[in-house]
Parts: sequence; C-alpha cells; structure tokens
Amino acid sequence: MKKIKLFLMAVAATVLSAGFVACSDENAEVSNWQKYQDAVTSKVKAEKKHNKAILLVAFGSTWQQAFDAFDNTLTEYGKKFSGYDVFLSFSSAICINRAAAGENVDPRNFYAPNFWLNAFAAEGIRYDEIVVQSLQVIPGEEYTRVINYIKDFANNANGDLDDEYLSKVVIKLGVPLLQDLSDVSDVATRLHTLYSAKAATDIVAFMGHGNPDSYDTYKANIRYTQLEDSLQVRSDNYFVGTVDMMENFKTHVYARMAAKGLNNGTKKVWLHPLMSIDGDHGHNDMAGDDLPEDIDENNYTFAQLQALANEEGEVEDTSWKRYFGANGSGFTCNNSTMIEKGLLELPSILAVWMNHTQAAIDGEALDYYHSKNPE
Amino acid sequence: MRHHHITHAAAATAFAIVLLLVCTPTAKSTPLPWGGVGSGPASAEPVDTLREVVVTATGTEHLLRDVPVQTEVISRRQLEAYGGRSLEDILAGLTASFAFNEDDMGSQMQMNGLGNSYILILIDGKRLHGDNGGENDLGLIDPARIDHIEIVKGASSALYGSDAIAGVINIITRKYDRDGLLIENTTRGGSHFDLRQHNSIGFAIGKFSSLTNFQLQHSNGWQNTATEAPSQTEFLITDSRNMTVNRHTNWQIQERIGLNISPELELYAEGSFYWKRIYRPSGKYAAVDVKTYDLHYKNASAAIGGKWQPSERAIVTLDIDWNRHAYYYLFTDTTLVDGYDPWGNFTHYFPYFPGQSNLQSDQRRTMGHLKGIFQLHERNRLSAGLEVRHDWLRAPMRVDNGGTVTDDTEALYVQDEWGIGRKRGTTHLLQFTGGLRLDRNRQAGLHLTPKVSAMLSPTEWLRLRAAWSQGFKTPTPKEQHYRYVREMSGTYLYLGNADLKPQTSNYGSLSAEITAGQWSVSVTGYINKVKDMITLVTIPNYRAPEEYQTQYELHRTRQYQNLDDARTLGIDFAFRYSSREWAFGGSYSYLNTDANQYDSEHDRMKAVTIDGTAHHKANCYVTWNHRFRRPYHLGIGIYGRASSKRFYQLNGDGKAYHIWRLTSTHDIQSRAITSRGLTLRAEAGIDNIFNYVDRTPHGLHLGTTSPGTTVYASLTLRFQQGKRTFKPIKTNSKQTHNEED
Repeated sequence: MKKIKLFLMAVAATVLSAGFVACSDENAEVSNWQKYQDAVTSKVKAEKKHNKAILLVAFGSTWQQAFDAFDNTLTEYGKKFSGYDVFLSFSSAICINRAAAGENVDPRNFYAPNFWLNAFAAEGIRYDEIVVQSLQVIPGEEYTRVINYIKDFANNANGDLDDEYLSKVVIKLGVPLLQDLSDVSDVATRLHTLYSAKAATDIVAFMGHGNPDSYDTYKANIRYTQLEDSLQVRSDNYFVGTVDMMENFKTHVYARMAAKGLNNGTKKVWLHPLMSIDGDHGHNDMAGDDLPEDIDENNYTFAQLQALANEEGEVEDTSWKRYFGANGSGFTCNNSTMIEKGLLELPSILAVWMNHTQAAIDGEALDYYHSKNPE
Repeated sequence: MRHHHITHAAAATAFAIVLLLVCTPTAKSTPLPWGGVGSGPASAEPVDTLREVVVTATGTEHLLRDVPVQTEVISRRQLEAYGGRSLEDILAGLTASFAFNEDDMGSQMQMNGLGNSYILILIDGKRLHGDNGGENDLGLIDPARIDHIEIVKGASSALYGSDAIAGVINIITRKYDRDGLLIENTTRGGSHFDLRQHNSIGFAIGKFSSLTNFQLQHSNGWQNTATEAPSQTEFLITDSRNMTVNRHTNWQIQERIGLNISPELELYAEGSFYWKRIYRPSGKYAAVDVKTYDLHYKNASAAIGGKWQPSERAIVTLDIDWNRHAYYYLFTDTTLVDGYDPWGNFTHYFPYFPGQSNLQSDQRRTMGHLKGIFQLHERNRLSAGLEVRHDWLRAPMRVDNGGTVTDDTEALYVQDEWGIGRKRGTTHLLQFTGGLRLDRNRQAGLHLTPKVSAMLSPTEWLRLRAAWSQGFKTPTPKEQHYRYVREMSGTYLYLGNADLKPQTSNYGSLSAEITAGQWSVSVTGYINKVKDMITLVTIPNYRAPEEYQTQYELHRTRQYQNLDDARTLGIDFAFRYSSREWAFGGSYSYLNTDANQYDSEHDRMKAVTIDGTAHHKANCYVTWNHRFRRPYHLGIGIYGRASSKRFYQLNGDGKAYHIWRLTSTHDIQSRAITSRGLTLRAEAGIDNIFNYVDRTPHGLHLGTTSPGTTVYASLTLRFQQGKRTFKPIKTNSKQTHNEED
C-alpha cells in the first residue's frame, strides 16, 4: 500500500511539474506599445526642424531599388518643401520590420502611419500643420486606409491624444497619383514624353497593381482604363494592365493588342511597372521567370500558356515577360525589353505627386475633427 | 453523439468478454510464445538481425524473420557501428526508403514518397507530438538512447490508425528496470561545433526503479552557399547570410519511474521537458536575409500507465499521456506582429523588442490507450484496444474563432493473429493477421478500416508475405485552421482549409524474403493509393482572404487541399551478409508517384508533383569487426547513400547526389575495466568523405543539405553496478513487453 502511495505521489509530482512548465510564458508586455510609440516620438523630436510636417505613406517594400527610390523621394521632398519636416511611412508590417533591421546597414525607420501621427501630436512636437501625402497610384483600397488613419487620428479614436491640440492642428491630405481625369491626362502626357520613341515602333505596356473586384473601393480601377485610353490618344502602342484588376490581366492586355493586329511578329513589348516602386511585383509578376508547373521551360508555346487561363481569364504562375515572350505570341519580349523603374524613380512623375502635395497645402484643411466634434 | 456512445459501449463490452474468456482459471494454460525467443551473443558480436524481436507490426512479439508483416529493423549493432548524429542521419544512412531535408523549422521527411504527416513516429509505442509547417522536430529523439528502430510500411496495422498511411517508425529506447545503479555519459563532437551529450542516471531499489536522462544537442549550422537564387533577387547576391542549416541548441530532460507492484502488475510514470532555439543570423538584404526573430520550441510531456498480466494468456496495458509542443518567435530585433493594441483593437503593428517572445502556436494532445493481448489458443492471438484522443491547438493570431480549435477522435480496434498448418520453429506454415479499426472523429464521423496480411513459410529459408490494408486520416486542426506567412524572396501565405475531407488509403504489398546461411535477400513491391490526399497546392492570390491580400503583397498563396487521387508505387530491395567479422549489405528503393487534382476551370485532371520525391534511392555498407587480443575491439565501416533528382512544385528540383561515410568503433574491454562495471567505448568517423556539397543557391531546393566532409568522435563511459542492465533485446523478453507501453 505504501508503495502505491509513493507511486501516486511520484505521478502527481511528474504531472504537476509538467503542468508548471506548460503554463508559464507569453511575455508580451502591454507597455510595448508605449515603448515603441516613445521611440517614434523621440525620433521625430530629434529631427524636428519646422512646425509643419509632411508624411508620405506607401505600402512599402523590401527591395533595394525601392529603398533607394524612397530615399530619393524623401530627399526631393525635403528640397521642394523646405519649410516642412518630411517623413515616410510604410503600411506593411513586414516591410517596416525588415527595413529597420539588418546587419551593418543603417536602419530605415518607416513606421506605420498611426505611430507617426501620434508622435506629431506629442507634447514638445505638436506640428501646426500635418500634410499626409498618399504615394498610391490610384485612389483605391490602400488609399482608403490612409484616410482611415487620418480619421482615427483627428477624432482621437483611442482617446490618448490632446483634444485641444487636435481641434487646432491643420491636417491636409495629398491625393494619389491618378486621383482624377486631369491627373490621368497629365500622367499620360509625361509618360508619353518619356517613352514616345519606343512607342513609335514597338509596344509599351504598363503593369499596375489594381484592386480585386471584391474591394475595388471607389471603383478606382477605372483609372487604369482611363490611362490606357489617354495614352492611346497619343499612340496606339500603349497599354495598361494590372496584376489584380478583373478583366485587365495580362491576358486581356494581350487580347487588346491582338485586336489591333499588333501581334504580327514585328514588335517588341516593353514592360514597365505602373507602381510607385519597382519591387516584388515588378521583378516577379512582370519580369519573373516562373512558369506553371507542367510547362517545360525549354519548350513551351504561347498557346500552351493561353490554355491555362483560369475562370477569370488570367494565366497564373507566370510573368508578363514569359507570357508576351512565349513562342507564338507574335511579339518579342525578354529581359532586354524590361524597363525596371518605379514611378517614383521618374522625376516627371514624382513631380505629379509633389504637385498634389502642393495643392493640398494650398487648399482647404481637412475637418475630420470638427465633423465629429462640432463646437 | 449516438454513434459516440455506441462506440464506447461496444468497446467496453468486447473488451470485457475477451478478458473474461482468457482469464478463467479453467482455461488451458498455454504459455505465451512471447518469452525467451532466442538468445544471441553480446552486441559486439555478429548478430543474425533476423533473430531480432520486433513488436511494431502487430503489437505483439515476433522474431523479425517470422513477423507476418514485412518489418525493417535498424539494430543496436548497426546503430553503434554507424555512429549517427541524429535520427535523420540514421534513417537516411541506413535505409533507402527515407529522404530528409533539414531546414529552419525541423525536418522534412519522406518515407516511400509520402511526407511527415503520413509517417507515424513512435517512441516506445507513443506518438511523437507536434509539428511546424508539417515538419517534425526530430531533436526530441536522443540518438544515444535508441536501442533499435523498427519500420513498418503502409497502414498495415490496426493499432495505429490515423497518421500511419506511409508507415510507422517505432523507436525503441533502452530501459532501465534492474537492480543496481547505472551512470552513463556519451559525448559526441564533430565539425561545425556539432555537440551531442547524453547522460543517464538509473537506479532500482527493490520494486522501484528510476531512470533520468538528459540530452543536449548543438550545431553551429552551416552555409553551403552565400548566393541567392538570381531569378528571385533584383541583383546577384553572393554574400547572403542565409544558412543551409541554422545554428541550433536543444536540450531535454526526462524522468521515468517504474514500480513493479507484483509479478502481474507494473506501473510507470514519465515526464519530460524539452527546449530548443533555432538561431537565424541577419544579413543586410531586406528582401532576402534580414531576420528579426529566432525560433523557439518548448515541449513538455507527462504519462502514466501500467501493464497487468492477469494470467499467462493475457496482458492488458493502459497508457495515458499528455504532450505539449509550443512554438514561439524569440525576437532579435524590433518586430511588429499581429496582435491587439492597448485599446483592444486588432492591429498588424503590435511591437516586440529583442529578448521578448511571442507564442505562435501551442499544440496539446491528450491520449488514452487501453490494449489487451489475449492468447486464445496456441494458434490464435487476439489484440484489442480502445484509443481516445483529444487535440487542442491554440494559435492566437493564426487561427480564427478566438485562436483555439479542438478535435476529438476515438478508435476501437481488434486484430487476430492466426497460425495455419504445421509449425516450423516459432511460426506456422501460414501466418495470418487480420485487423479492423473503427475510428470516430468529431468532424469526419465513423470510419472502418480493414487490414489483412499473411505470411507463407513453405521452407525454412523462404518467406512470402502479402498485405492489404486501408488507412484513414482525418485532417489535423492545423491543416484545417492554421495560417501563416513566410518570407522567402517574396511573401508566401499558407492557408488552412476548413472544408478538407478525410484521406483514405489502400495499401497493398507483396514481398519475398530468402535467408540462406549468412545471407538474406528481400524484395517488396507496394502500391499505396491515397484518396483525397491533403497537400499544399498553390492557388491564385485572389482566392486569399482580402485582409491578407491587402496586408501582404503576396507572391504566392498556398492552401491545403484534397487531391483527387494520388498513388505511390515502388519496389524496395535489400540484401545483407553477416559473418563473425564481416557484414555487408545494401538496399534500393524505386518510387513512382502520380498525383492529380481536378481542374474544374479546364475540365481536366492536373498533375501535381508530390514535393521531394525521387525515383531512385539506394544505400550500401561494409563493416569489419575484429577482436584483437584483449582488451581492444575494433570496428570499421564504410557506408554509401545515393538519390536521384528530387522533384518539387516550385523553386526547382533537388540535384541527385551520393555520399560516403567512414566509421570506426573502439571498445576497450580489459579485465580491470569490466570487473569494475565500466564500459569504455569510442567512435570516430568521417562523413561525406568525397566532400559533395550541393551549392544550389538559396531559395531553390537542394538534393541534400549535407555540409560536405565532416568528422566526428564520441566517447561513451558507462558504470553499472548490480545486475546487467542493457541486455540485448533478444534475451530480455520483459523489456520488450515494456516497449509496447
């Protein structure tokens, strides 16, 4: 009997010790949030030179070419808007993490918009004017999120900001590249200036991102179609397609080219990202080497790829380069016809975003605060 | 719910009836044939491996040569001669049926073409627990504790239901349940700061025994190439910090307490704790090699159970065990992750700082297993069991529904072993095994799987075996509900799928085994057809939840889906020769896979590659043992293994390779040492002697992750006082009973 007791005690001890081990952990501290916010605030405090700030908001990237483009954009904004402190924000957490880390590299602190805005309102900083400039191309889903950040900030959604400051601060919003039809026309003119020589003999196709139908906020996808129309006024050889916009995948772009009889074996297809930076989409979706699984890399035809179109008409798992360059497509498209440049890298297009910033500065202030908190 | 009650009631009734039948005092007392099945020489001597006793195929003991279901054994002798650093190393080096790829998270393993989730890994009959991205962490297994390994292909046994569609690997560890004291240390060191420490302290006083094990494993990892796949990067990167295998450290402490209440009743309790950290160096290319967190695992287990032998014709075992596998990010740089802000709102920007950790997933499993083995007649042995399993998964940011999902499965099985015709040695002319397993899963409902196998022994030297079995595997909570993001030159989103159907399999095999003198040759042909096979399939990004399309610029979205049909078909061939001093052998495995998924958009079946499969794999070995004049015993071995090209859906195929290894063992057995109860043993060797390194750039698949030529040396010191503890398994029938626990 004693032995049974001893055994049971041993069992209990084993189970209990395992239980203790299992129950400890998860050391996430609530103060982390504040600690992080304090770091952002300290950075802004250290860099504050003016009473007005511009916050550029982009999705973000982890590609070096994109980092260089963002760095250059900050520099150019600093030059043009010399009375403003200029900061840049990523909305992608993964991109923020990776831009700020790394061995033997200067960290790029592209904090999320909410942390920047809260820092701008912190005691000792409190900018008189805050201009938020969207670096999006179309006024779509990402742009909506930029607006929501501003709304949350202006309305003190978490109740952690100073209401009196919020009632006074001037908040302005710079719109995306293709906000309206006049922007479309303006950008088309500028792109034509850059690529008219190519378009004179060959095709120049731009690849935008676009929003899937299910969250095509504000129906902003229409801007891609409008841009193509506007460009085609200048030359029949311009096309604008997307990665995600329904009815405007690479297959649809090809169909539009074919309808004009351009796939006659004489033309090159120059491909160009229609995104603020040339990152993952530009290098993979546009210029990547992937092919669908059952396609032989060394021996495939355009017809084979076409046959793989899904119910939405897109051929997944391959790039624009592979598609337009496939044997039998009627075009020449290869590494030598890739124009690996993001729009922020084109000074004449960056100038359009800057014009939007200037227009915001010159225009009416946003009144998200008073619309919710009438006096 | 009604089915549930019926299952339990039927199980209990059947069990009670069988127990009553075999325990009645009037029953003819036929000794169980599971004791004293032969004796062999000490482990340093040549051993006829076919005289090993195995338990995995049927749950009952058989000589390997007489087991009705083809079973492969890696013996203690082979293990000692090979000097493997890990289970991966051992299985890849000593059988042709396995393929491995060590990586960040664990070990991608394949057995005859089917991956981790189809392979049931048992440690002394208990299921290994926990996976990350479908990979198992085999660091949980201390190679120095392994007595031998039994491998059974296909879903051949009624005992192991779910998970065992490709087969079962049962790792039998050494036990300690004899009077006296044992102190043992094995320290193994090798290239890349590879360190393995094994320590045991065991003692037995009267009916009480205790065995404490501590193991430590460390490797600095290695980098076969600093080049990133040019097709995945914006410019050529030749100074990446990404490792081929990351630096890692893990340790484990285990305790087993045994109590022999009476000759009829043994009880035990076990507990363990395991800790692992995988270090991920950070480079300077944000798209490629910048890392902001290490990976961290914490496992714990507890088990109690016992064995009751109410009569010489019956054994009843009960095991209840609980396992936890928790997986954390351990931050090395400031990192924003999904979480809740101080106001309770979901955010993608919850910050963590270096030194902090964040739980990613916590898998817990509680199992109960009641099993009885009943010798109904000299020719007829019945096994029956009831298994109850509860799975619990918590992954706060990776699973919807509050971050927790659960699953319940119960199983009832019976298996009958039946001898027909004249008896030769320990087996009959025809040995038949039939089994039925009834699984009930909370979501998948009831499913019955039959298993049949037979062995014909027309002569002393020939065994012909045939097996047909069905398998059944319900989707795991992770396959159904878990999602995660991996950054590998672009963002890959992995999604669970709540609509997954259970998988079923039909496995058939035919084998012939010839044993003549010191030779043995076996050839096995098999086909394994898996219906509704669950595998990761690349799907259009637009089918990902909008939230994820918005938050991540997705490069690829992959989701668990049921394939319409998949089959693996192959031939395994093995031969061996064993004499007093020389042994040599080899094995070859041919594999052909065919997997298809119906593509409704194009009304056609689309071929899907089963990742990591190769058509041809082979290995071979030669060993020479020589006892010089006392006290020195030398063993030399040469081992080779090879694989043809390995196929993958994405990111290229793995190159073919062959790798060779030279090993040596040195036993010092002077009277001065052995009379004091001491054992002194050294091992040393060179792996990959021709320095083959697969330098395929990062981001693409490798054929092998071997770092090239490495050396190792190990020293074992063992002190035993009292009766001998580590008897060869053949002479220790009681020990093998425990292995069924």
